[in-house]
Amino acid sequence: MRLVKLASVTKKITIAAVGAFLLVFLPMHMGLNLCIIRDDGGEWYRNVCHFMGTNWIVKIFELVLLACCLLHIVVGVLLTIENYMARPVRYQVPSRTKTHFGSKYMIWTGGLVFCFLVLHFINFYFVKYDLVEGVYTVKTEKLQMHIQDRAMDLQKSFDEGKIGQEELSEKMMGLQMEYLSFFQLMQTGQPAEKLSRDGQELVNLDRKSLEAFVGKDFKDYEPDFYTMCNNLFKDRTYSLIYILALIVLGIHLFHAVNSIFQTFGLNHRKYNGAIEMFAVIYAILIPVGFAVVPFYVMFVR
Amino acid sequence: MNLTLKIWRQENAKAKGRFETYKLENISPDCSFLEMLDILNEQLVNKLAHPVCFDNDCREGICGMCGLYINGRPHGPDDGVTTCQLHMRRFKDGDTIVIEPWRAKPFPIIKDLVVDRSAFDKIIQEGGYISVTTGGVPDGNAIPIPKKNADEAMDSAACIGCGACVAACKNASAMLFVSAKVSQLTLLPQGKPEAAKRVQAMVAKMDELGFGNCTNTYACEAECPKSIKRSNIARMNREFICAKVCSEE
Repeated sequence: MRLVKLASVTKKITIAAVGAFLLVFLPMHMGLNLCIIRDDGGEWYRNVCHFMGTNWIVKIFELVLLACCLLHIVVGVLLTIENYMARPVRYQVPSRTKTHFGSKYMIWTGGLVFCFLVLHFINFYFVKYDLVEGVYTVKTEKLQMHIQDRAMDLQKSFDEGKIGQEELSEKMMGLQMEYLSFFQLMQTGQPAEKLSRDGQELVNLDRKSLEAFVGKDFKDYEPDFYTMCNNLFKDRTYSLIYILALIVLGIHLFHAVNSIFQTFGLNHRKYNGAIEMFAVIYAILIPVGFAVVPFYVMFVR
Repeated sequence: MNLTLKIWRQENAKAKGRFETYKLENISPDCSFLEMLDILNEQLVNKLAHPVCFDNDCREGICGMCGLYINGRPHGPDDGVTTCQLHMRRFKDGDTIVIEPWRAKPFPIIKDLVVDRSAFDKIIQEGGYISVTTGGVPDGNAIPIPKKNADEAMDSAACIGCGACVAACKNASAMLFVSAKVSQLTLLPQGKPEAAKRVQAMVAKMDELGFGNCTNTYACEAECPKSIKRSNIARMNREFICAKVCSEE
């Protein structure tokens, strides 16, 4: 029974073509991630996140990528159901035939990667679109400027006669208190986790604290993915899940790379060895490249 | 050799099947697997019981009739041989051997271990041939064919249509069979004129009959008694893409 009236080979080509696009995306994502291990206080990584979050070409590709992921999953599930139906009575003895490594478990490895992707989206992607609250970082220097700006605004309003003397002094007092408490925070480093090591930044602020510190300007602030990464990877359990997911991804990728060439008919005695080698290198390099980040954060940083 | 056999018994296509256990004693290791089943059947007939039905014909490994799923592998534990070429010396004294029929939706069971493989014939009818125009006999060397192509076409044509590829595939896909048939014709000049039409028609028929989709596990290649290579599947994919993109048929 055909669930969708498309030739089996067409479905196979679709899943392979979409998979090939995803294979191109992975090294790029890995490259961006590796910016985290640069010891520059997150300057590169934050710039990269800013670029990826604001550039419109990236946004278009993001949509294409999401569509590809969805198509890959839908066709994969469809093929699995059809294939299951092609053998209504199963064998009693499990198959002992030698098959290509990982090929029999593509739907399972794919399913596990999907589960990880959901977790990954909750941790990072949804934060970008404000569906999940992230953490923010504000430069202390900026905060001082911000308080001064607010004081100047108040003075201006008073000069223009918008507010009275009483209100002015009341609000100025409030600002002074704010500055003082902030100054104390800088001096004592309390609470410690909010102040970065060099004392230049207030980190790990939630939305409310950010609003309290920078007022209406909070909309200009993007979530600080650098701090979020560091926080997550310092958690050993999360890092373990991340690394396990990468191993599963590696198994999925090994068969995927091989399979793509076969599906497109790119099978040639001269190049088959090279294709197999490429699959091995790709399936090892990508998970290792991604895994460098949690290892670095856990053991070096 | 003393053996315990667990064999699938099923009266007809609609009946509910079950495994039956038989004990066999004093089997010579030099017996072929089918001879061992013959001995079992003789004993069953002597007891006035129904013999176990199984397909076989030439018993030389060339007709493609025999085909049993033995201990989790089509055609048993040997590579590159059919069931009839399998010998009991491949098993140990006291072994339990589980024998099942090919399991696939397009291969319904006729009785016991016999399945109806006419689905393969239907695929061949869709294009596994060349439309020959009759006339005078052409000169043998009038159409030059590279030796390599001739060899590869011959290798692909070695397919005996036994169905082990379908039986081995976790998806019950017939891609190795269909691709071998497509390849043997496409590789030669006589098959080229109908290549685009053929590949599309044969794939469509294969899908219609309810075979599964290929997921490149290469179990078919591992179990094929004639060692048909997976490069045939790649060739068929290539032919299919070319036909869909370039051909007007």
